[in-house]
Amino acid sequence: MAETLTAFGWVVMLSMIITLWCASIVALRKTLSEEDKKAELITKQGAIESYSPRALFELREWIENHPNDPYREIAVQRYNECVETLKEIDEPFYDWNDSQISDLERL
Amino acid sequence: MALIGAVVGSGNIWRMPYVAGMNGGGAFLVIYLVLLYLIAVPGLMAETLLGRYTQRGVIGAFKNFLGEGWSEGLGLVVVIVNIGLMSYYAPVIAWTIYYLAHAVLGTFYQPGFDPTAFWAAFSGSPLLVVGLHTLVAVLVGFVLLFGISDGIERVVKWMIPALVVTLSAVAIKGLTLPGAMEGLAFAFNPEWEYMTDANTWIAALGQALFSTGLGWGIALTYGSYLGKNDDVPLGGGLITAVGNTSIGLLAIFTVFPAVFAFGLEPTTGAELTFVSLVSIFPSMTGGYIWGLLFFLGFLFATYSSGLGITEVGVTTVKEETRLTRTQSVIAVVGAWWLLGIPSAYSSEFLGWMDFMFGNFGLPLATLMILILVGWVIDSKRARILDLNHNSDVYIGSYWDPIIKYVIPTVMVFIMGYYFATNIEDPRAISGLALMGGLTIGSILLMQFIRRGKTNEPALTPGGD
Repeated sequence: MAETLTAFGWVVMLSMIITLWCASIVALRKTLSEEDKKAELITKQGAIESYSPRALFELREWIENHPNDPYREIAVQRYNECVETLKEIDEPFYDWNDSQISDLERL
Repeated sequence: MALIGAVVGSGNIWRMPYVAGMNGGGAFLVIYLVLLYLIAVPGLMAETLLGRYTQRGVIGAFKNFLGEGWSEGLGLVVVIVNIGLMSYYAPVIAWTIYYLAHAVLGTFYQPGFDPTAFWAAFSGSPLLVVGLHTLVAVLVGFVLLFGISDGIERVVKWMIPALVVTLSAVAIKGLTLPGAMEGLAFAFNPEWEYMTDANTWIAALGQALFSTGLGWGIALTYGSYLGKNDDVPLGGGLITAVGNTSIGLLAIFTVFPAVFAFGLEPTTGAELTFVSLVSIFPSMTGGYIWGLLFFLGFLFATYSSGLGITEVGVTTVKEETRLTRTQSVIAVVGAWWLLGIPSAYSSEFLGWMDFMFGNFGLPLATLMILILVGWVIDSKRARILDLNHNSDVYIGSYWDPIIKYVIPTVMVFIMGYYFATNIEDPRAISGLALMGGLTIGSILLMQFIRRGKTNEPALTPGGD
């Protein structure tokens, strides 16, 4: 058995450090800042929208393409809730701009 | 954060070093890392969303999508595996209590102290090990009965960072010892023959599930407590998986330099972390305090995990039977206490249970959960409707085939490869028997319990 780290050993060790410790720190910082922002907005305006622009457009597309799906009703309910909230609140949580919000309509 | 608290425990600090030591060190870690990102991270997102969507326990979540009847047996598999895992997790908590007591008494700092002989004397005392196992059952039952888990979780929030600091201090000391480099070489140099060995792959799969909590039902149960504004992908998936494994990596940096510096055997088995760490504390400045802090932090980590694991069964039993919460706690704790007596009595039996439930029971339970999300709910529908609901990061369509095809295929391939290359090994036959027996037995039991009932699945989210 080798008594020192080989070149591959260094690669494995550094890869573990980057993909675990560095990734944990970045992810933790991201989630803490996002959750703080969520809590602040909920305290300030009582609610936040539930989908990002990309996620809501994807939800709408899915609803339109699946008219007979057993989950369609739940999907429409969630879509409409998000649209209503976006129209009511002053500051969205996700990166919505005013024109995107004004173009939105309930289903 | 509560989920991380529940999962940080013996899987990372106790199990990761010993399983890595028995499976080729570096090669095991490379495979483990691949499976962590390929299976554990997306899989945990799926398990957590299942709980958040249904707001139910394990069997309730299955019933929500499959209706009452035999199909609830697939959820029962998860609950039985959870109780099986807890049956040998409890003795590890018991070991921690014993070592903490001796950290307080200063036993490890006595002249001529021999960690291996100390372990042998402890594990060879049936009265002591079974007695401590019983004490763990009483302590877990007491907290769950009197509803003071929140208080424990508040303490754990402080104890986990303290444990990380302690592990870091011990690792730094260990790395300065003569022979430490050999420990790092063992831990990280990949020995390529292990990369093609089915035993390494099955062990890495088991560890990826064990240390992240995927397939235990814990993420599902904690997911059921999440509020409608809580995020799943980042907190429930990435941070839970990668954060926990980060502590496992720290444990590797702590254990292996000590193992080689003190001439211990890296393939010792289940007691590796305990034996190696008590060797290093006496050589540290302030070793008494570091030892005390480590075992105190480790006890809270394992104990809170024990509470989280047991809560899975308690929530499910209370939901699905006429038992009160008190009766459910007594039933679940009683079940794992009884099942755990042989593991408490013999660390070799504990190692066998760990091999069976960790490498075969957990993958089976994980498959049940992922088949439900991937095929019954449909992973694309689950992602669009629920996973990206209030998420801190957007999860794209790449997630859909990973849950539906990639994870089940990879897991079945690893297990198939193991069985094909170890077909004459009694452990492989026992593993197959465990998986078959659990699946068929659970389905038949639920079919018998629900005979005559034909309720349709609800499909709707619960409490949202």
